[in-house]
Order: sequence, then C-alpha cells, then structure tokens
Amino acid sequence: MTLETKLLVVFGLLALATAAGLVWRAKTGRAKAVAGGDVIDLAEIAATKDGKPVTKFGNKVTFLQFSSEFCTMCRQTAKLYSELEKAHDDVLHIEVDITDRLDLANKFNILQTPTTLVLDSKGRITSRIAGAVKTQTIKEELGSFDI
Amino acid sequence: MSDSKKTPAGIDPRGPRFGASITAVLLLTTVFLALDAGSTGAAFTLLLIVTALFAIGAILGNSKHPYGLIFKKFVRPRLAAPKELEDPRPPKFAQLVGLIVAGAGVVLHLAGVPNAIAIFAGMAFVAAFLNAAFNFCLGCQMYVGLQRLGLIRKF
Repeated sequence: MTLETKLLVVFGLLALATAAGLVWRAKTGRAKAVAGGDVIDLAEIAATKDGKPVTKFGNKVTFLQFSSEFCTMCRQTAKLYSELEKAHDDVLHIEVDITDRLDLANKFNILQTPTTLVLDSKGRITSRIAGAVKTQTIKEELGSFDI
Repeated sequence: MSDSKKTPAGIDPRGPRFGASITAVLLLTTVFLALDAGSTGAAFTLLLIVTALFAIGAILGNSKHPYGLIFKKFVRPRLAAPKELEDPRPPKFAQLVGLIVAGAGVVLHLAGVPNAIAIFAGMAFVAAFLNAAFNFCLGCQMYVGLQRLGLIRKF
C-alpha cells in the first residue's frame, strides 16, 4: 500500500469517527413525543425516593429516569432533574436502577441509560428522552406542561 | 434505589478521558502500521501492548492503570479541581469492552485472519476516540443492551 493510501485510510477513519460523534451528540438527550402512551404503574416500577416508595405522580409532570450501574451520564442527568424538582413544586423526579430490573428494560425497550420517560399528571407517557438530557430539552418539556 | 446502593469512591472524570486519548493515538498508529505487510509485526506488537493495558484497566481499574498514574502525577496537579467526581465502574466497563475488541484482533490475527489487526484496532479506535473527544460513555450505551441480549450477566 502506498503512503498516500495508508494516510487516506487513517484520516478517513478519523473523519468517520468525528462524524459519528457529531451525529451522536446532536441526537442524544432530545425528546421524542409518544402518542397514546401507556400509563405507568408505580407499584410495578417499585421506585423509592429518600427511602420511601413513590406512590404519587408529580402535580404536573414526572420525569421517570431509568439508570444503570455502569453509567456516568445517569448521575449528571439525575442532578439536573433534582435541581428542577427543587425549583418547581409541580415537578417530580423518579430514578430507577434497571441493572437488576431487566423486566423493566424489556417492557420499556430501554437500549441505553439514562433514558427518561416524561409523564403527565396521570402518569401517562408523553415523551421519551434517550441519553443525557439537554437543558434545552428540559425547557421545552416544561413549556409543554405550562411550567 | 440507586441512592441506597453503595458506590465506590469517585475518580476525576478527566482521568479516563486522558487515557482514552493516548489509547486512541496508539490504536490509530496500529491501524497505520497494519496496512503495510512490512510493518505488520510492529502493528501486532503495538496491539498486544494496548490489549495488555486494557486488561489492567478492566481488572484493576483506572486508578492503577499506567495512564491513570501518569494523569495523577503529572496532569492533575496542573488542572483545577474537578467540578464533580465520577463513578469508577463505567470506565472500567469500557476498558473491558476495549479488552474484548482488541483481544479479538490479536486472536484472529494469530489464527491467520487477514486484516484482523487493522479491523479490530480500527473499531477500538472509534470507541476510544468518541470517549476522548465526545465524552461518549460505552457503559451507558451498551450495558443494558448487552444485558437484554443475554450476553452479559451482572458481575
């Protein structure tokens, strides 16, 4: 192989990886609207918050975040939602670790963590956010609930 | 649930990314060397070294990895304190994925599969590069999926 060809392969690989990274960054953490979404059964999710089982949804909106053990982004995302929850009374953040809950991962078809399901006041899924949530996405979601 | 689990002591998140940058450079060099029959031997040696480094990261974790030690001794003192610490398990999982991919390149090359070094070093390069440049986290993207496919069990 000539030096030119080899350099072409190497730089081609670098360009490909950069393109993949840019596409991933643009797509991750955005919300996709869910039409006719299911209603979440809190008993099935068995989420706890501050050591107590969660029995009620947020007054206006609930961010149900699925996390896993080997996930750096989950922490950052959880932090964003907790801050949001502190700032708005009508917002609830629930975090569920699905490392041991393969049933939930299958049921909600979770391919990556964090994945967030946005629920209305009755617990119906209105949208889905795959990846570390973007602040812009949060703003848009809150806007759709008039918050 | 997650708040009730014990998590190991946090690490500086820039450590694994620093390591991933070096790994990405080494792997891209491996690809370059593997493209020429004359330097395949050098490419194989380099891939063996990278594989061994992945093994250290996957078994002992980032803090005992040579890059982790270099980062701690020479890089971190020059940086401001990190805004927050990170769970060491996701980078360890990423090292394990690296070990499997780079290791597959080594084994297949020894088995006589043509271009095994270039292909597997290339794949491992993409992952290391995405980690270093875009903060892409393999554990976040792959762990649940692999678990659902039944390819991994909780360890």
